[in-house]
Amino acid sequence: MPSSTSNSENSQVRPGFVRLTASDRPGVAQPVPERDIPAMPWGPIWLGALALLLVLFIGWEWHWRAFGAEPTYRNSDGQWAQQRRRIDHGEGGKTVLIGSSRVLFDVQLPVWEKALGERPIQLALEGTSPLPVLEDLAADPDFTGRLLVGIAPDVFFTGFRYRGKVVDYTRKQGPSQRTGTWISQTLLEPYFAFYESDFALGTVLERQAWPLRPGMTRDLHVRRLSVSALDRNTRMWSKLVDDPAYAKLAQDTWAERFNGPPPPFIDTPEKLRKVIDEQIEKTAKAVAALNARGVEVVFLRAPSNGGYYAFEQKVFPRETTWDALLRRTGAPGIHFEDYPELQGYALPEWSHLSASEADRFTAALAPLAEQEFNRLNTPGN
Amino acid sequence: MVFNSLTFMVFFALVLILHAMPFSWKTKKVNLLLASYLFYAAWNPPFIVLLWISTVVDWYAAQKLVHAQKQSARRFWMLLSVVVNLGMLAYFKYGTFMLENFQLLMAGFGIEYTPPAWDIILPVGISFYTFATLSYTLDIYLKRAEPARNFLDYALFVTFFPHLVAGPIMRPTELVPQFAEERKANAGMVRFGLALMTLGLFQKVVLADTFLGPAAEKVYDGAAAPGMLDAWMGTLAFSGQIFSDFAGYSTTAIGAALCLGFAMPDNFRFPYAAVGFSDFWRRWHITLSTWLRDYLYIPLGGNRHGPARTYMALMLTMLLGGLWHGASWTFVVWGGLHGLYLAAERMLRSRFSAYTPGPLALFGFALLTYALINVTWVFFRADGFGKAWTVLSGMFGANAGAKPILDTYHLLAVGTIVGLIVATHWRMRAQTLEMAVAKVPPALLSAALAVMAFAVIIAQGDGSAFIYFQF
Repeated sequence: MPSSTSNSENSQVRPGFVRLTASDRPGVAQPVPERDIPAMPWGPIWLGALALLLVLFIGWEWHWRAFGAEPTYRNSDGQWAQQRRRIDHGEGGKTVLIGSSRVLFDVQLPVWEKALGERPIQLALEGTSPLPVLEDLAADPDFTGRLLVGIAPDVFFTGFRYRGKVVDYTRKQGPSQRTGTWISQTLLEPYFAFYESDFALGTVLERQAWPLRPGMTRDLHVRRLSVSALDRNTRMWSKLVDDPAYAKLAQDTWAERFNGPPPPFIDTPEKLRKVIDEQIEKTAKAVAALNARGVEVVFLRAPSNGGYYAFEQKVFPRETTWDALLRRTGAPGIHFEDYPELQGYALPEWSHLSASEADRFTAALAPLAEQEFNRLNTPGN
Repeated sequence: MVFNSLTFMVFFALVLILHAMPFSWKTKKVNLLLASYLFYAAWNPPFIVLLWISTVVDWYAAQKLVHAQKQSARRFWMLLSVVVNLGMLAYFKYGTFMLENFQLLMAGFGIEYTPPAWDIILPVGISFYTFATLSYTLDIYLKRAEPARNFLDYALFVTFFPHLVAGPIMRPTELVPQFAEERKANAGMVRFGLALMTLGLFQKVVLADTFLGPAAEKVYDGAAAPGMLDAWMGTLAFSGQIFSDFAGYSTTAIGAALCLGFAMPDNFRFPYAAVGFSDFWRRWHITLSTWLRDYLYIPLGGNRHGPARTYMALMLTMLLGGLWHGASWTFVVWGGLHGLYLAAERMLRSRFSAYTPGPLALFGFALLTYALINVTWVFFRADGFGKAWTVLSGMFGANAGAKPILDTYHLLAVGTIVGLIVATHWRMRAQTLEMAVAKVPPALLSAALAVMAFAVIIAQGDGSAFIYFQF
């Protein structure tokens, strides 16, 4: 006989049902609910379940390690919020890096620290225009430091925001979410390679080679490209260097965007120009607000090559984008094409530097950035 | 905090340990109350004040109500409770909606009115706990319930964390007596409770969030007009998503309470096997539908004053039930459609009272019911009437030349999972989960639990809130 947590009402059992609910008792006081416990050997059932779960879990972890993955901190909204809060909690005078994935991958915090004696706060977001973060910092009086703004033309000048909600998330983040991030960073992320959004069940299944539905084209989706430290210092995943097929897949993913039709909001030259001008105008306003508070802003155009560079040259030529941005904002910029020491690096998938190249690049960049910041600080400028 | 979060796992483990310690029953209840406040405050601490206001006002009103000699005084204290609770709900949930509609109304008269900025956050679960506290004063007013013997039992009834933010909406007579005497969960209750929590989290994290939600998003949140296949699959995906999300929450809540030794009522009874809409509402969100029935439909007259009054009460109840879900006219239309369905069914049943459907006809009626419910889900899911009409047009074949939206993977996932959900509901329509579980070989149960837990882990849910949190 099943056990129960309360007295049953067998006398009132409706045909076909073994348990009444409030829907069977209109307009009366509802009694203490009954909950049956199926008479099963729950102890052995759970032991068996846990043993099988362990086997499946170990197999899954082993699979991803064999694929080349290693435990890494998740590039999560919670992690970004932690770094953003440092500005509010006494570190507002530091150098802050914002931008898209190129600043995230290419600027190495330990190398910068070694060169300039200060470890910057990394707030760049992959696939996301830095404009929302720039505006957020412009409105924050706690931020009084220096700002390096990465410009990836196709992301910045279209206002593309893959992670555009992260600023709002940070403002609204509750204690439960903060605790969740901390538990994840303490108990899971340093130990498990499978724990990475690219290896989540839904993502893995969606990326299988399913037959194409008539009228649809295959969407490759951007794969995992990086590994991250606790303070968001990010390096290219070694698989892109060691596995040419994986690097080719990343290139094909970018190429899909170059060869496909532009999104409707920029599908004519006029629309594209309007969007570019809007981004520049908003940026100029934010930079003016920062400058008025004494915050120095320097723009950075990090290297790209191959198909990506060709696409950028075609759709976002320097004269009408980068040069226009510097003219309108009055801020200095470091364009890799202008400095021999910022050229000639290996970019396995055309857009980002490998880990070792990022170290070399940062060592070359840091003094240049320092020079620009100092130039801004010089009276008369 | 949400059930599908790492924070909750740690929190629940600590609560279980604390509850198993050899403290007095009163201390255990105090622990549970404090844990429940922590559970709520972990989302947004200031809003705990609202919970306290609701708790204290209803306790005070009920105490006064019990001791009042005159009917007018009893009515006053009951109305005070109703006004305070519904007032809070109106301010936080419907403030913006009312202002926007007032602005539109003024514009209709040619008056330009700009309302003041109204940037308020909806406190999570306010619709649920205000209904729970209201049922306390209303049951005492209606002399269906005795007041709680002490404030601690009452406060714990309102705040008990498994039901606090998204139900099941508890009645005082269901929960207060469980706090009166010491309850201890035995090993079977803890183990079955954990099994229920595993099932609930599987429904939420894997079925709703991983497989069905993304397909519904592609159809409902994209700019493209869907063709017939995409419109139907997107809507079916949402029908599966909202069931898995909300039933998953209820199952997890019931399991969590069971682990602590408490019983909570069923909130779902395989609703997609419903034959007709009155049957659907006896199976879907039971604790809300019965709340509306007992405290709104019956006081409005129910079916005691002739057909016209019955239909009016029915329609009003469903319209307000729709509005309870969200401050938007699309929810009102969703409720109105259900009201129309219920009224039409009532008419048909009285006209064909002698008709008894055979098994095939019964199945056909169940499918028809499910199809018509899917039409209502369009208004529930769409963010406005424009999108709702676009999707409905697609469902009825009016979006000729529409480009495909869902790829093969999403079509397969939705078709398989929603097909399995509906088939399971049909097979289980006259059973309970416990009855079905009792027939499964233990080894198969082990495997099912392991696979569900494994799927929850590898799905790596992002801790997204349950859909009903917003209501």
